Parts: sequence; C-alpha cells; structure tokens
Amino acid sequence: MPKLPKVRGESLGTILSVVLAFAVGGLMILLMGYDPVEAYVELFKGAFVGKFSIGTTLEKFSPILLTGIGYAVCVQTKYFNLGMEGCLYMGAVAAAGIGLIPGLPAVVHIPLGLLGGILAGTVWGAIPGALRVKYNVNEACSTIMFNYTATLLTSFMVFNVWREVTAVSRTPIIEKSAQFTKILKPSRASTAIFLLVFVVAVMVWLVYKTNFGFKLRATGHNMFFSNYVGFDAKKTVFLTVCISGAIGGLAGAMETMGVFYCVWDNFSMGTAFDGMLASLIAKNDIRKLPFTAFVLAALRAGAQGLERVTNVPKALVTTLVPMIIILISVDGIRDLLGSLFQKKAPQEAQEGVQG
Amino acid sequence: MTTLNLGDIFSYQLIHATLRSSAPIVMAVVAAIISKHANVFNLAIEGIMLFAALISITVSAATGSWVLALLAAVAAGMLISLLIGLAHLKLSANILILGFSINAIAQGGTRLMMQEFFGTVGSYAPKEMAPFPRLNIAALDGHPVLSSIFSGYSLMEILSFVCILLLWVVLYKTKTGLRLRSVGLNETAARTAGVNTYRVKLGAIVVSGIFAAMAGAHLSMGYTNMFAEGMTSGRGFMANAAMNFGGGNPLNALLGCLVFGLSESLGARLQSYGFPNQFVLMMPYIVTVVILTFSMAGQQRTQRKEKLRELKKHREDLSGAPR
Repeated sequence: MPKLPKVRGESLGTILSVVLAFAVGGLMILLMGYDPVEAYVELFKGAFVGKFSIGTTLEKFSPILLTGIGYAVCVQTKYFNLGMEGCLYMGAVAAAGIGLIPGLPAVVHIPLGLLGGILAGTVWGAIPGALRVKYNVNEACSTIMFNYTATLLTSFMVFNVWREVTAVSRTPIIEKSAQFTKILKPSRASTAIFLLVFVVAVMVWLVYKTNFGFKLRATGHNMFFSNYVGFDAKKTVFLTVCISGAIGGLAGAMETMGVFYCVWDNFSMGTAFDGMLASLIAKNDIRKLPFTAFVLAALRAGAQGLERVTNVPKALVTTLVPMIIILISVDGIRDLLGSLFQKKAPQEAQEGVQG
Repeated sequence: MTTLNLGDIFSYQLIHATLRSSAPIVMAVVAAIISKHANVFNLAIEGIMLFAALISITVSAATGSWVLALLAAVAAGMLISLLIGLAHLKLSANILILGFSINAIAQGGTRLMMQEFFGTVGSYAPKEMAPFPRLNIAALDGHPVLSSIFSGYSLMEILSFVCILLLWVVLYKTKTGLRLRSVGLNETAARTAGVNTYRVKLGAIVVSGIFAAMAGAHLSMGYTNMFAEGMTSGRGFMANAAMNFGGGNPLNALLGCLVFGLSESLGARLQSYGFPNQFVLMMPYIVTVVILTFSMAGQQRTQRKEKLRELKKHREDLSGAPR
C-alpha cells in the first residue's frame, strides 16, 4: 500500500469539526430548554466516570466494533453489506438456543454457543451474498430486507417458541455454563470483550497481510482486473461476505452469552448501523475502526447516563448523535475548518488524497 | 382457527386492498427512481417520509386544511433533501452516512417532537385533523364489485399512480429526462456533452425529497389517520428495492410495488386465520428479495442471449468478409 500524502490541517480540522458538532448539539439542547453544560458533563460521566459507566461503554463497544468490522471487510470488495443487524439477531438466537441446553460443562458450552452464533450469522449473511454473486441482486436492498426478516424471526422465537411465563418479552435465561463472567459489576460488560482483541488481530492480519486480503482489496479496486489476472472475484466476494456474516453472528452470540444471558425482542435497536457508521467514519480501515467504534460506544453509553441523571429526554440524544456523526464525518467541513487556520489551502495534497 | 377459505382471501376486494397498500410505496418509488437516475443512492427517503408523516398530520390538526398540511410536508421534504444534496455535492459527504443518519434523526426527532409538543408516546392521533379527501364515483354506487375496484380511493392514492406514469413519460420522452438519465449512465460523458451535472443532481435530490414527503404525508393522512412511531416500517427501503427490481424503469418498478401491496394485503387476510403475526409482517420483505432475484436472473439470461447473438453475428461477419 502506498502511503497517503498527509493533508495539512487534517487533524486540526477533525478536532474543530467535533467541537462544532458538540456546539451545534449544545445549541439544540439549549433551544429545547435544557442546560447544555450539565448535559455534556453528564454525557461524559455516563461514558467514563465510575465502574458502571466504563462497563456500559465496553458493553456497547463490542457489538459496534464487530458489526463495524463486518461492514468494513465487505466494503473493501465493494459489497455494501447493510445486513449485519440480521446476522447479529440470528447469531443471538442461535446462541440462546444452544445456551438453553442443560448439563454441558462450560468448557464445551461456551465455544459451542459461540460456534452456533457464528454459523447462524454466516448462513444468514451468505444468502444475500450468494444472490449477489450468482444473480447480481443488489445487496444494499436484499440485506435490509433480511434485517427486517431476522428481527421478525427473533420476535417469533421470543413470543411463540420460547415464551416465558413472565410478561417480559424475552427468552428464558440461558444455562450458567454458557454464560461469560461479568466484569465491572453492576454493568453488563463481561469477559467476552477479550475476544475482541483476537478478532481485530485476526482481521487486520487477514485483510492487510495475507494473500486472501490482497485479493479481497484488489477485487474492490477493480473487479475486471482481478478476474483478468486470475483471481476468482466472485469467490473472493462470497468468502468475504461469509466472514462478515460470521463476525456478525459472533457479535450476536456475545450479546446473548455475555450481556443479556437471554434474547430480548428487538434488543439491538440498530446497533449494527452504529457499527456501519463507525466503519464509514474510519474510512473502512479496520486498523482505525476500534477508535471510532469506541467513540460511538461512549456516546451511546453517555446518552444512557444522561437520561438516567437529568430530565433531558432520550429521544433528544438519539437525535443529536446522528447529527454529530454527520458533522464529524463530512470531509468538506473538516477541510474547510482546517484551512480556516492556515495561510494557504493545501489544494494539491487534497487532490492527491481523492485520486 | 377457522378453516382456510381461498374464496374469501382471493376475492375482488383484494384488488382494492392491494392498490391501497401499494400506493405509499409507489409514491416513494418515484422518489427513488429520480435520485437513482441522478446516480444518487438515496436511502434518506425513509427518514423524509417519517418526518413528512408527522409534520403533515400536525399541520392538518392545527389548521384543518389538508392542502396546507401537504404543502408543509413538501416544504420539509425539500429542505431536508436540499441539505442532503448540498452536503453530498458541495461538502463531499458520504451519501450512505447521510442517508442512515437522516433516518436515525427522523426516528429520534419524531419521537422527540411527539413527547415535547403533544406529550404522547408511541402514536399521535388528533381528532380534529383533516385527512386527504376520498374520491367516490357516484355512478358506480349501485354496483358492489366495480365500486370496490374503482371507487373510494384517497386523493394521494390516485395521484401516486398518476405520478409514476408521468415519471415514465418525463424520463423517456422529454429532454429533461434524457439529461437526467445521461448523468446516471455516465457522469463524465454528460459533463462533456454540456450537461450541468451539479445542477441536475441537486435538482434530482430535491425533487426526490418532494415525492418522498408526499409518500409520507399519505401514510399519516390517507393510508391511516394517525402517526405512529416508525410507521414507515421500511417502505423507503422497499421503494429502493422496487426501483432496483425495475432497473430504474418506472413501469417495472410499479409492478414490483403491486407485488408488495399484494403480499401485504394477503398477509393481513391470512392473519385472521391464526397465521403467526410475525410471518405476516415478514411477507413483503421476503417477497421483495424473491422478486428481486427472479428479475435479476431474467435480466441476466436476456443479456447472455444478446451477447451470444452478437458473438454469432460477429463470427458471421468475419467469415463473410475475406481479408
């Protein structure tokens, strides 16, 4: 990989656009009649201050990072996989199904549950992938349809198959032997997050250091060229989609076995889209993804804290977060703000990046 | 569970139900097609629809006029899509981030507006709202079958079908349509030919926002008489799927929409026979993927045949011309 020319003022611009984003958000909070300073302080506290807050950030971090990786790896081959949400649900349901089997030792049960989740996610993700490589069915559409289907299937499993006696809309609690140990109590983070290090390491190695990774990136750059030099582009795309589905399934299994110990109806509420946004902000670079995913996770955790402590409605925060994301992610704003504080706009360097 | 009676399910009333359920998607597909031909993958249709649905019903309840409500919704749709267009074209923002963020803002924003302004959670159904007028054809009143099929539609339902037919005319029979399609086919070539691609793209995004807003207004003021959280339930995405199914051609896309409408209204009927609710709701999504697959497979087959024919012709030309 050739090194990208560094744009002067890029980091300055990024910092300034984050500041701008929070300023705009603060203005919104003020207009709605709440105190923006207090809100931001509580947002920060909700993400980082205290065991519970850090634990909540880590709990949110895991699915956002994994689904982000799933999206990022597919996008390298120009496959817009918006279906991580569906893989997440299917993985969670499969893990719950396996987790309910009684009488297994933990050494067997935990890997079995993770494997079940991975398998379910792979199959669920592979169907749109197969349709794309075989019939050229637009994946951005089919994967979204698969998300809705997976959400409804989960809801069917929760309400009709595993109906608990209680009124809550969730499956029964899985067996002790399938549960990851909680850390940072009373938050819901668990030892499952240590798996993330492994997944990130493997994926960075796979995409940036191996033959397969090279084929994958080459296919994304130019499919015809890849075919011409003898890579099977279709096979590469399909394998990549399967890997991404597997990661999505793993994310779901980790939610069931680490966070909830059961499956709630509608538990994810668009987590996979946060993952996708994290990936988009990181310019689909898996090496930068942990940082952006962490920022988003902190925002989500902070929003929960904010809602708990102040009377700022959660809906306001859920509206603000995507606004902040837009402002952070727009390159034009970043470059504009960066160049404001410079004598001459770095015109040539910018063109170098785009090309 | 009562026994399944196919005669009850496939009755003439199904036509009316199908047309009614497909109308919101038809209007949204107009929006999707316009932006597709400008080479913009507009996922924000879903979010604009949701905003428009709430704004129109609010204005309708406040003023008692469906005309003002529609105008307010359209203005909102134009404003949002203008922002999207400027951010995408001027500030080179990623269109996918914009689309998903707008959808997320719409979900949170409409919930916030309901909480802050009306003090309700989940749904908002003001009694004093004025819905879109329903057009009844008096001449058919005596005839149950014909009046079921042709009469009793909301204004927007008729308008959406008119719009998609008009869109076909505009796209394929006018200069504007040709320019728009040229941008979608090859932007560089269009620019070389003297088309102002920036203006065409921005215009397409804004017009697409207008139709998305009308689709949304119809959801809360024609299809139902209320606003519910997340009431678009993926119709914006389905419109994008139908657009893909038709390869950007409005008439094929219309066919796709009718299939969605049919699956939705069939599902509603099956529900009364004890069919699990989730599977009923699932039907449109699965049908979308299935028809997408069949249409793409069909397109591939015709393309392959054409290629073979060309190859054969090429060979004949070669053998016919001694050199």
